[in-house]
Amino acid sequence: MKQNNEPHLIAALGICKRFHVGSSTLKILENIDLRLHRGEFVAIMGPSGSGKTTLLHILGCLERPSSGSYRLNGVDIIAASDDDLSHIRANKIGFIFQTFNLLPGLTVYENIEAPFLYRSCEHLQIKEKIMDSIAQVGLGERVKHKPSELSGGEMQRVAIARAICADPLLVLADEPTGNLDSGTGLEILKIFKKLHAGGAAIVMVTHDRNVASVADRIIYLKDGRRVDEASASKQQAV
Amino acid sequence: MKHLRVNSRLFKFVQLAVKSLLQHKLRAALSILGVVCGVAAVFSMLSVGEGAKRESLAQIERLGTRNIYVKAVPLTEMQQAKFRANLSRGLSLTDAHRIQKGCPDVQDAAGLRELKASVFSTMKEVTPLIAACTPNYATLMKIPIGSGRFISDPDMQESKLVCVIGHGVAGSMGALGRIGNYLRIEDSLFKIVGVLQRLESKVGKSGAIRLRNYNDMIFVPLAVANLASSTGTPYGALADPEVTELIIAVNDEKQVLRAVPAVKRIMEIAHGGAEDYQIIVPQELLNQSKKIQRTFNVVLGSIAFISLIVGGIGIMNIMLATVSERTKEIGIRRAFGATCTDIILQFLAESTLLTFTGGIIGILIGFGGVWLISAIAKWNTTVTMLALVVPLLTSIVVGLFFGLYPAYTAAKMDPIAALRSE
Repeated sequence: MKQNNEPHLIAALGICKRFHVGSSTLKILENIDLRLHRGEFVAIMGPSGSGKTTLLHILGCLERPSSGSYRLNGVDIIAASDDDLSHIRANKIGFIFQTFNLLPGLTVYENIEAPFLYRSCEHLQIKEKIMDSIAQVGLGERVKHKPSELSGGEMQRVAIARAICADPLLVLADEPTGNLDSGTGLEILKIFKKLHAGGAAIVMVTHDRNVASVADRIIYLKDGRRVDEASASKQQAV
Repeated sequence: MKHLRVNSRLFKFVQLAVKSLLQHKLRAALSILGVVCGVAAVFSMLSVGEGAKRESLAQIERLGTRNIYVKAVPLTEMQQAKFRANLSRGLSLTDAHRIQKGCPDVQDAAGLRELKASVFSTMKEVTPLIAACTPNYATLMKIPIGSGRFISDPDMQESKLVCVIGHGVAGSMGALGRIGNYLRIEDSLFKIVGVLQRLESKVGKSGAIRLRNYNDMIFVPLAVANLASSTGTPYGALADPEVTELIIAVNDEKQVLRAVPAVKRIMEIAHGGAEDYQIIVPQELLNQSKKIQRTFNVVLGSIAFISLIVGGIGIMNIMLATVSERTKEIGIRRAFGATCTDIILQFLAESTLLTFTGGIIGILIGFGGVWLISAIAKWNTTVTMLALVVPLLTSIVVGLFFGLYPAYTAAKMDPIAALRSE
């Protein structure tokens, strides 16, 4: 993996994603360009089926685009091997999912600890990092609880702690407040703001304008294409 | 450092496997039943087989791998008449001398005749077997003397009425069973000149040769066999006494099989082709026993292999179900950065841990089975390192082999599809 000192953390150009269903081709993303600076917070909005989650998966190195180029922190993701992508996901990217995706048999601590199995991190630092991230999301008293004993908001906070624990370059959030009530959603957004203030680069997929408003800018997708872009302040004014 | 990290990662995978299996204890326990039964069966069979092998080898070795036995065959009157016509007078000490002269590989030869006689003494627990033999019998059969001496050449040459008694006989006679005292056999008084050391009293049969319990035997010189026999003629000593058994000792173990054809030829000529004797070679029995043991091991191995395959298929079934059930977890782990190898290792650790645990439980049950077999059937059993290691290693290999396909299936899942699964 070759790294460059590029100004952009993410430089995705002409990203296309197509699926072949029988003899027909399903176009999910068409010619998407996206650049993201270090520490920038971007929200991706659009109706269902517009390709938001697929784009997020491509940015998160979970999926490869059908065509286009994508560099993350100077690394050519298209040319990287599967193992290299796994290594990038483990060490550079933090995922937050709408459905939390916690492992039900593990405690809060163990859920946050689980990704460290795949990270190149000194053993002695792990506990410290986990406890720090638990403190950041305010779950100090829930360390030994299992997901079934937590509320939705608490589960999402565990997911956030898990995502930020290894100080990733990029945090990717897919509808992080989608399964939460508005009050809990606001609490989660506060954590995102705090993260952003701490210098984390965030890409968040949402269909909620209020949630998107916390981002520096908003990208709109429709039928797999970028249709508009606005700064969050403009959007709020609208 | 890298080595340490790899070890620590492997340890983490084992820890993860323990946690996963503990979440479904009953399922894990049921899934390893096949392996438990297979390993217990293999362990028990190996231990029983080893016990039987050692016993038969010990018996054959007691006969002496350097020896060749020529045994008189009991004949019917018709057969006796037929063989006499061939000029055969039955097995006698002269045959031993002929063999010694005719075969350069033969070092020594001893003769023995079992006698039917009544012993008049105060013995309560022992009914002794009386054997008339040549003085070198004890040396060839490696019979240890406890006190006194064995029958000597002068005893034989001068037809002395002396006897050597086994440890059991001496014990049963009490104070009378000491050296210098007399023992009445039929109508003659025999002076006790030696008492044998106590020997492990294992009687048995190796091929056509019966192993004798020397503790309960009385030895007299072959020259006076007629005097000590209820069926003998009371004419005193014989120049060429009849024997029931000749023991031919060859110079070296390696020369035994070479000497056998020569011995056969000499006996054939001496007996005019009459088949009133049988040649038994303990070394051949030993080789035969080893061959049988090898066949036995192949049969055991096949049974073990089949039972463990059945157990392994059970493990594969459960692991496939586990992989299917944990599709979401696989997706989450792939999103965290788990490589295909990590996923393979995780599921292989689980399947191997399952079968290894099955192996340990199987060994424990096997120990119980072996103990029961020893206690109830009174069979000789021997637990060897091989009996412990082979089933355990096999259980690990079964875990790795049958876990590989489910692990590979898990690793090859599309992370996105796995994440979307419910």
